[in-house]
Amino acid sequence: MEKYRTAITIGLVGAAITLLFGGWSMILVGTVVGAITGLNYGQHSAKRGALDKAREVLLPALIGNIIMGLGGTLYTFVVVPLTGKSLNYDQPLKLGTGRVPLDSIAVFIIGLAAGIAIGVAVAALIAYLQGLPENVRRVAFIASLIVFLFGLPFFDQVTGLDWIAAIITIQIFILLALGLNIVVGYAGLLDLGYAAFFAIGAYTTGLLSSPQIDIYWNFWLVIWVAAAMAAFAGLVLGAPTLPLRGDYLAIVTLGFGEIIPVVFRNLISVKLVEPFTRICFVGCDPKVDVVRWCIYACQGALDLTAGEKGINPIGRPMIPFTDELLFSSRSYLPWYFLVFGLIVLSIFFIRRLRNSRIGRAWMAIREDELAASQMGIDPVKTKLLAFSMGATFSGFAGAFYGSYISAIFPSVFDFSVSVIILCMVILGGLGNMVGVIIGGILIMGTDRLFLPQIATLLKDFMRHSVLGNVSNPVLKDFLEISVDPNQMRLAIFGLVLVIMMVVRPEGLVPSEERRAELHEGEEEHGDAATEAAA
Amino acid sequence: MSMLEVQNIHTYYDNIHALKGISLNVNEGEIVTLIGANGAGKSTTLKTISGLTKPREGAVRLHGNPLHTLPAHKIVEQGIIMVPEGRRVFGVLTVSENLEMGAFARNDKQAIAQDLEKVYSLFPRLKERRNQLAGTLSGGEQQMLATGRGLMGRPRVLLLDEPSMGLAPVLVDLIFDTIQQLHKQGTTILLVEQNARMALQVADRGYVLQSGEIVLSDSAENLRANESVQKAYLGIS
Repeated sequence: MEKYRTAITIGLVGAAITLLFGGWSMILVGTVVGAITGLNYGQHSAKRGALDKAREVLLPALIGNIIMGLGGTLYTFVVVPLTGKSLNYDQPLKLGTGRVPLDSIAVFIIGLAAGIAIGVAVAALIAYLQGLPENVRRVAFIASLIVFLFGLPFFDQVTGLDWIAAIITIQIFILLALGLNIVVGYAGLLDLGYAAFFAIGAYTTGLLSSPQIDIYWNFWLVIWVAAAMAAFAGLVLGAPTLPLRGDYLAIVTLGFGEIIPVVFRNLISVKLVEPFTRICFVGCDPKVDVVRWCIYACQGALDLTAGEKGINPIGRPMIPFTDELLFSSRSYLPWYFLVFGLIVLSIFFIRRLRNSRIGRAWMAIREDELAASQMGIDPVKTKLLAFSMGATFSGFAGAFYGSYISAIFPSVFDFSVSVIILCMVILGGLGNMVGVIIGGILIMGTDRLFLPQIATLLKDFMRHSVLGNVSNPVLKDFLEISVDPNQMRLAIFGLVLVIMMVVRPEGLVPSEERRAELHEGEEEHGDAATEAAA
Repeated sequence: MSMLEVQNIHTYYDNIHALKGISLNVNEGEIVTLIGANGAGKSTTLKTISGLTKPREGAVRLHGNPLHTLPAHKIVEQGIIMVPEGRRVFGVLTVSENLEMGAFARNDKQAIAQDLEKVYSLFPRLKERRNQLAGTLSGGEQQMLATGRGLMGRPRVLLLDEPSMGLAPVLVDLIFDTIQQLHKQGTTILLVEQNARMALQVADRGYVLQSGEIVLSDSAENLRANESVQKAYLGIS
């Protein structure tokens, strides 16, 4: 039994998800459950040979996936009837313009069978790969990951699972978390206002490709400008905060994060006049102001950001020789692949940075600033670089976000966004990119996928099965309004963070350095004891 | 002209006048030691030379070029390298990575590799443990590592701040043996020590500090023979 415990745990987590979505989700969750089981058992297996590892994982993977399937079964036969849908409803496949008629029971049977079969096969494959030599394994891993990530949106579209919008949001936040990881994880500078750089990237995009001030630049140019603007903002924020450490730095970044949305909210009538020469740079009204020259926007004060109304619509990316409407609000696929590409690009750059001289300098500054300066590391330059490099990637994310949503509002970039990004980094494991990505998937997946689904199910359930039986009108109102997990999302994140800090402070997938650091105290203790004994 | 010259430096910590006009010089190839009681300003002198604290008055010069106007990391590039008090190795890096960090300001890969071998031959213990995390080393090994890391920067003047602090007597001997070995190889060293007896044994010359001022300077031999030094710092009465 001991041997199957991990598989059962993984299966239970999978079951929790299939319990919410049922049907086709079992194939997707089965694949993931299989992959994690294969990874786990392949790594801990005592057997050396690839085939032996694969054979060994078969049974645990089967058990895990059957448990996963139980969730889907419960969904189909318990959750669905309770929420008021009939047991058997239409759930057709969408193949381009055509539709393949299927009902929910058929979908359940196919999903369950295919989910378990694919799950076990994937587990065997992943375990098999673990037995291969290092270089082959790496390539094979990346290849299978790419196949999965390429297949995902098509599967989503065909089955009508409708996860893609949430997945794109998750990707945006992963991009942000990767950037913040540079500042917090690598350089050790606590930044509580990271959303500000996200906002700067988004607003740069908004201004440079929208009717707001009549500039329509190409997205492929704007995204670089947005990244550069964010990087510059990183320098501007970094410069005055350099002498500060720890808590003080965190407070300044917190302030910066609060200021930026307020600035964007209030840039609605901009006028810049040089008082002595009366040269007007921006936004003068020739009838009212006495100005000698007017350089730009001379029909009265300039509305730069439209305040709370936000900038709308923002231009979409276009690729030469393809349909002009390739990137539209109706199709998600191009967006998915665009942000996917941005993430891959960012991972590549961040890896290079981390292993370069700059990466080592960040590490040294994080560990011991005095010692670092005695190695000839310039603390000023190093910290500024960390701030502006981290900001660069949020500039990418901001540009993508602005163009994808096609509208931006100051309220999107408030403090809670900074905190959620920070949570992803901490939950996943400071300083480890794989950990940060997993943290991002978990937190944003919960936020954008699982909680809303729970909310919908719960609402239907209340309406269909509970509210009719409640006669007290006050209680009825209370139940109708208050049972909404969406309202509790921040409380849930807070709770998760507290539990993590107690149980596993280094994060789910910690970097080796961080792990060493957190256990250093214990070892030093042991050292002191042995030295005292000697 | 001597290699490193400190001219009449005054250093303050806010309002506290820590160094009240210290002047000293170090010639090429010499070991010079600063001895004195706690709070006499020994470490502050080293910190002022290495740029971690700035003097309000006075000058520090290397071969006549001013150092006190440069930021700390530029002073390191000039070849003034301090092995800080309390070791301060990078605990989450391995021994060899720590040594590589010491050569951060250098670009000559081949020479760095040679220097790495030199450090390993000086401290065979570090070679044995080169893949171990520095945080898991004992105090003595960490001191070796910190010294080795300093040497990796090719110092023209090596500033050693309390290398024997908190070490068992056997290890203190080992550290001082190493200092003598470095001396033989021609490294210029400015040594700050609480352990005046050991320091005066290895040094060529010494300065005695007392509440921010130099009260005595002489050859190490004469200082050892000096009655007041014996009384105050060597525990001979």
